[in-house]
Amino acid sequence: MPACSTKCGKNAILKRPKTGDALCKTCFFEAFENEIHFTIERAKLFRPGSTVAIGASGGKDSTVLAYVLKLLNEKYNYQLKLVLLSIDEGITGYRDDSLNTVKQNQEDYGMPLKIMSYKDLYGWTMDEIVAEIGRKNNCTFCGVFRRQALDRGANLLKVDYLATGHNADDIAETVLMNILRGDLARLNRCTSIITDCGDGIPRVKPLKYTFEKEIVMYAYFRKLVYFSTECVFAPNAYRGHARVLLKDLEKIDPTVIMNIIQSGETIKVNETAKTPSLTRCTQCNYVSSQEVCKACILLEGLNKGLPRLGIGKSSKVKRLLKENEEKNKSCCRNDTQESACICKANLPSIK
Amino acid sequence: MCSVGEGFEDEEGSRMEKAASANWKGGKCNKCRENDPVILLRKKDAYCKACFLAGANHKFKALLGKSKLIHPKDRVLIACETGHPTMSLLHLLRSGLDLNTQKKLRFEPVLVYVEDNYHMSIGERQRIIRSINNETSRLKFPLHLVSFADSINRKNVLISQKSLALNRCDQGKVNAMFDQSINKTNRRQLLHIMKRNILLTVAKQLNCKYIFTPELSMDIASSLLTNIALGRGSQVPDDTGFCDGRDSEVKILRPLRNFDMKELAMYNVFHKLEPVSVNPAQIDQYSSVQDLMSYFIIDLQENYPATITTVVKTGDKLALNQSMIAVQCKLCQSAILRNSKGLSSAESTRFSKLTSNELPDHNVSGPERYLKLTEKSDHSPQERQQYCFSCSKLSRHLLEEI
Repeated sequence: MPACSTKCGKNAILKRPKTGDALCKTCFFEAFENEIHFTIERAKLFRPGSTVAIGASGGKDSTVLAYVLKLLNEKYNYQLKLVLLSIDEGITGYRDDSLNTVKQNQEDYGMPLKIMSYKDLYGWTMDEIVAEIGRKNNCTFCGVFRRQALDRGANLLKVDYLATGHNADDIAETVLMNILRGDLARLNRCTSIITDCGDGIPRVKPLKYTFEKEIVMYAYFRKLVYFSTECVFAPNAYRGHARVLLKDLEKIDPTVIMNIIQSGETIKVNETAKTPSLTRCTQCNYVSSQEVCKACILLEGLNKGLPRLGIGKSSKVKRLLKENEEKNKSCCRNDTQESACICKANLPSIK
Repeated sequence: MCSVGEGFEDEEGSRMEKAASANWKGGKCNKCRENDPVILLRKKDAYCKACFLAGANHKFKALLGKSKLIHPKDRVLIACETGHPTMSLLHLLRSGLDLNTQKKLRFEPVLVYVEDNYHMSIGERQRIIRSINNETSRLKFPLHLVSFADSINRKNVLISQKSLALNRCDQGKVNAMFDQSINKTNRRQLLHIMKRNILLTVAKQLNCKYIFTPELSMDIASSLLTNIALGRGSQVPDDTGFCDGRDSEVKILRPLRNFDMKELAMYNVFHKLEPVSVNPAQIDQYSSVQDLMSYFIIDLQENYPATITTVVKTGDKLALNQSMIAVQCKLCQSAILRNSKGLSSAESTRFSKLTSNELPDHNVSGPERYLKLTEKSDHSPQERQQYCFSCSKLSRHLLEEI
C-alpha cells in the first residue's frame, strides 16, 4: 500500500478518483467532510436557522448525505433543523425494505421522518400501476410521481430547503443525457447546485462535487447502514446510454466527471433558442411546462383505464385530452345517473 | 438508487425514437415521384440519382449561402485530407465554380494538404501525396503541401508545391514535443490544436480569409461530446459550429457538417470519383476519450438514427457568454471565462487537491483546520490565466516551452 498523500505517515486505504491522491482512513474522512462543507459554504446553500428536508431513500447517497449534514451541522454550527422525507412508492420487496433502513437512520441520527405514499397522494401504488401498464414505461409513472411527491412532502413539512443526494456522477450523466436527447431547457439548469422550481422551496445538492465511488467508500468505512438493492421493476434499466458512456469514460480518466460538470456550468444556451416556459398546471396547480402537468395526465389515464395516455408525445396527449373533454361534456349532460359516468368531474382531485 | 424522473416532468425515452429496420416499402423517388429510387437515406427516404445529387449540391450551397460570410474573390483555404469527404468537397467546389448561372461560386479555393502521416513508411506517404496530387489536378486545382512535423509552433511555414521532402525522423520530431507520460487523450487534443494552428498560419501566409475543413456530421457530434468530456463546454460553438471565429483574421468554416458518410460516399460513386484511401488503423475504443466518443456515436446512431442530428442541433443552440470572456487561451485561442460568483467544478477540484495533500494538524479543532485550509486555498498563487481550463491540464512540459 502506498503512503497517505498528506504525509501523515499512515498507509493509504484508497486512491481518490477525483484527484488521484492516495489517502488513509482518517485523512479520507477529513477530506470528504471538508469538501462537502466547502461546497455548502462557498455555494451558500443554507441560511442559518432554517429547516432542511433530506430526501431519504435509504440508499447510499441519501444515507451519507443525512450523516454528513448532521455531522457538519454540529461541527460548524449551521443551526439547521434536519428532517428526513421519504417517498413510499408501494413496491413490494424494494421500498418496504428500504424504508426500514430509513427508519433505522431516523433512530440513529435522531431526525424526524415523514413518509409520503403514492397510495395516499395519487390513490395508486406502483405495484397496482405495474399491474395495469406492465413492466414497460412504468418508470415514467414512478419518476413523475416521485418528484411531485417530494415537493408536496416538503410543502407539508413547511421546510425551507429540500436537500437531495445527487452526486457528481449523477450530474455528469444528466449533462450527457440532455445533450443526447437535445433537451436544452434541462441542459441549462441541470448543473445548478440550487434549483428553485417556483414553489418557494429550493432544491439543493450538497453532494454535487462528490464522486459516487467516494460516497460508497465513505459509507463503508463509516459502517453506515444503507440499502443497496435495485428496484424490482427496473434492474439496471435506468438512463441506459448516458450511464454506460460515463462508466466507460471513467475507465479512461475518472476526472472526466468533473470536466463534464465544468462544461455544463459554462455552457450557455443561445438566447434565440426556444425553451419552454414554466407555468402552473390547470388541474392541480403544480409547476409545469404544459397546461396540464404530466402527473395529472398519467393519473387521468390510470383512472380512466387508458394507462398509456401520458406515454409518448405531449402534443398527442393534448389532442386526446381535448377529445375526451368534448365527449365527457355531452356524456354528463345526457346521463341522469352522474356517478356512473367516468368523466373528469368525477375524478378524485389531488390536493 | 433509481433516480428516474429527477428532471422536471420527465419524459424518459420519448425523445429518442428507435430505428425502424429499413422502413422503405417500395415506390418512386421521394422527390420527383417519377423515377425509380437508387438510394435510401435515413433508412426511410428513397431518391433517384438526379434528385439525390441535386439535393446534395443544394445542401452544400445553402449552408454557405445562409452564412453570408464569403464574398466574391475571397481566397478560401481548403484543408485536404484523405477519404470520401474531401473528394466530394473538391467536386462540389469544381462543379460550383464551373457554373455559368447565378448560382456560380465566386470565391477562389486554395488547396492545402498538411502531411501528417509520419507514422507510416516513406513509400506509403509518397503514394498518398501522389494520389492527392493526381485527384486535385484532375479537378484542375493546384495543390500546396505542408509538412506537419516541420511546422509545429512555427511563425512561418514552408509551403511547397508538387512535392514534399519527407523525412524518416518526422515521427521523432513530433514525439519530442510531448512528455513521455502524456496519455493518448491529451496527445490527440494537442495534435488537434496544433493542426488548427498550422492551418491558420498557412492561411495567413497564402492570404486566405477563410478555411474549409471537411468534417462530417458524425465528426461534429463526436467532437462535441469530446469537448464536453474534456471540460471544453464553452468552446463548443467555435469548435463544432459552422464558423470558428476564434482567430481575428481567419475564420474556419465546416461546409460538410450536415452531411453523413453515406451521402458523400454515394455522391462520389455516382460521379465516379475515387477518393484517396488509407488503411485505417485498428483502434481500441478505450484508449482515449476521442476514440470512445466516436465509437459511442456510431454505435448509438445504428439503433437511434436521430442521434447525430440531435447532438449536432443541440450544439447549434449553444452560444458563448460574451459578457464572461476575460482573455483568449494562448494555445487554443478559446475564451477564458471570468470566474463567476458561485462555486465551480474547477474550484472544487482545486480544493480537493489541496485538502488531500495537506497534513492535518490534530492539535487544533476541525473547524480551525478547515479555516487554515481555506485561507491557504484563497491565497495560493492563482495559476496564470494564460491557458483555458482544459489546455492548462494538457502538458506542463509543453506549455512551458510554447
